[in-house]
Amino acid sequence: MASVKISKSLPTLPEDWNSESNFVAHAPLSPAVHRNLSPTGPHFLAHARRKRHSRTFSEDDR
Amino acid sequence: MSGNPSPSPQASPDLDDTKTVIGIAFGNTTSSIAYTTPDGKAEVIANEEGDRQIPSVLSWVGSEEYHGTQAKSHLVRNAKNTVAYFRDFLGKHYSEIDPTNSHNSAHPVDVDDVPSFNLQQADNETISTVSINEITTRHLIRLKESASDFLGHKVTGAVITVPTDFSDAQKKALVTAAKAAELEVLQIIHEPVAAVLAYAARQTPEEQSIDKNILVADLGGTRCDAAVVASRGGMYTILATAHDYELGGLKLDEVLVDHFSKEFIKKHKADPRENERSLAKLKLETEGTKRTLSLGTSATISIESLADGYDFHSTVNRLRYELSAKKVFDQIVSLAENVVKKAELDLLDIGEVILSGGTSHTPKIASRIAALFPESVPVNAPATLATALNPSELSARGAAIQASLIAEFDKEDIEQSTHPAVTVAPHLSYPIGVVIGEDNSFQTILEAQTAVPARRIAQFDVKADGDVIVRICEGIREIVVEKVERQVNVIAEAAIKGAKKGGKVEVTINVGSDLGLNIAARVVGTQIGARGEVKPEARSA
Ligand SMILES: Nc1ncnc2c1ncn2[C@@H]1O[C@H](COP(=O)(O)OP(=O)(O)OP(=O)(O)O)[C@@H](O)[C@H]1O
Ligand SMILES: [Mg+2]
Repeated sequence: MASVKISKSLPTLPEDWNSESNFVAHAPLSPAVHRNLSPTGPHFLAHARRKRHSRTFSEDDR
Repeated sequence: MSGNPSPSPQASPDLDDTKTVIGIAFGNTTSSIAYTTPDGKAEVIANEEGDRQIPSVLSWVGSEEYHGTQAKSHLVRNAKNTVAYFRDFLGKHYSEIDPTNSHNSAHPVDVDDVPSFNLQQADNETISTVSINEITTRHLIRLKESASDFLGHKVTGAVITVPTDFSDAQKKALVTAAKAAELEVLQIIHEPVAAVLAYAARQTPEEQSIDKNILVADLGGTRCDAAVVASRGGMYTILATAHDYELGGLKLDEVLVDHFSKEFIKKHKADPRENERSLAKLKLETEGTKRTLSLGTSATISIESLADGYDFHSTVNRLRYELSAKKVFDQIVSLAENVVKKAELDLLDIGEVILSGGTSHTPKIASRIAALFPESVPVNAPATLATALNPSELSARGAAIQASLIAEFDKEDIEQSTHPAVTVAPHLSYPIGVVIGEDNSFQTILEAQTAVPARRIAQFDVKADGDVIVRICEGIREIVVEKVERQVNVIAEAAIKGAKKGGKVEVTINVGSDLGLNIAARVVGTQIGARGEVKPEARSA
């Protein structure tokens, strides 16, 4: 998958960053809404293939 | 049977059993057929009369069956044996249909609650009762034969487009009617999505993957439909639809019929609208005048013996027409605005507009809709964008593209792929993004309404040597004058230590179908980075 180039830069790490780890999880995502994907187009068909064969994106890339 | 004859059957039957599949747009007013060339381009097929928009009309004179443009011309002299504007009757009970548009052609009758027509289809006086299902089958046979004739192969299957409000009963009736025409319906797809597919086919897979909300307004003859389609990673979700069953090209024909009738009355003291045949003639001709006004600034009309034996010749200019049609244009603009509201979006959330259907050729409609949006939003219609595709062809092209994508699938594959177990997916309620810049603004990485699982990768510039933070948030929309998105909920933070000026930080966000997140951030080409997981909210079971 191609990456989107964003010309702005990331903020400086705050001085008070005192975590041992480089990664901190804060909160889960808000609940999702169930909707119907239109079963059309090449990208959907790839999605359907992954779903039917329980494959992940990276497995699909291979 | 002569009439306008069906294309002659293939001289030699196909030796191989390769499937030949097409796309069909089946409208109340017109239908079109399209196929995909070996190099993947969708092309609309002209029938033997040279029409690409084939009127959805059948007419009988004695035992001769007429179809398309020829059948349509029979609305003047042979209206009782001419069936028009019938698509929306299919699969409905008689009590459910609105026969308004059938007043000047064969009127549907109630046969055991099935909309049917009493037609004279033989050389004697015998009247046969023909159901809407049989009419549809005849129409599909004629479309299929035209396509087979053009392609030189017997067409075996088709993807057919229908409006988004087509019920399951209607879809079932369509499949049955097609089967009787020896045509396998590979898939029924929605018209606005077909229009999106027609445009997407011109793009690279990367361009197709750019997330945006697309407004599709399908402006036809008897009705206008609108939809907001979320395009996310090249997958489409219809967020809202709106319909107006009393709005369309027929209403614009009426505007011109009234205009010309007034002129005729002034000259000859007779109203052509009061005589059925005069009205039918005038309607047929004004439609041509209306189309001419889409291209030029004035158009003429010329009808021999319109009413009371008087001929009628006149000219109308576009400005005059647009003034008279203003109310209809206003209603079309409202329909477009309404559907965006129904999707709980702002006009500023729309990234692209597609105008579909024959009435979208009207320059004033395209410019009125374009005026709703900033100039940066492409409005795909002939009057507003030189690169626009023919709006009359979008449904058929989209159907042909889908048909070629699934041509090699077997029935079971298609059924599985279109099953709710595969199509129903959780969609993000809020956008997910990263905080950027001095002003801590929110950069969306995954748009709201993205189906999960989903993955996005973004790259950020490193401005100076030092440590940076990747702060992943959920955003909430806040529209002031321009669209802005502001963070509300910090999901996770990752520290990148020792980044070098000029470097690039690549952030990958993977959202699982359970809404669990996998986040990886690293300086491109180095080992510097951080990764972690955010567990989904524990479900209270
Ligand atoms: N060049 C044009 N300029 C203006 N109107 C046009 C033009 N070409 C076709 N139309 C109008 O478009 C309408 C037909 O639209 P379309 O072919 O999309 O039909 P449809 O989908 O079968 O319609 P519906 O199902 O709403 O009746 C007709 O009213 C026709 O007069
Ligand atoms: Mg239509």
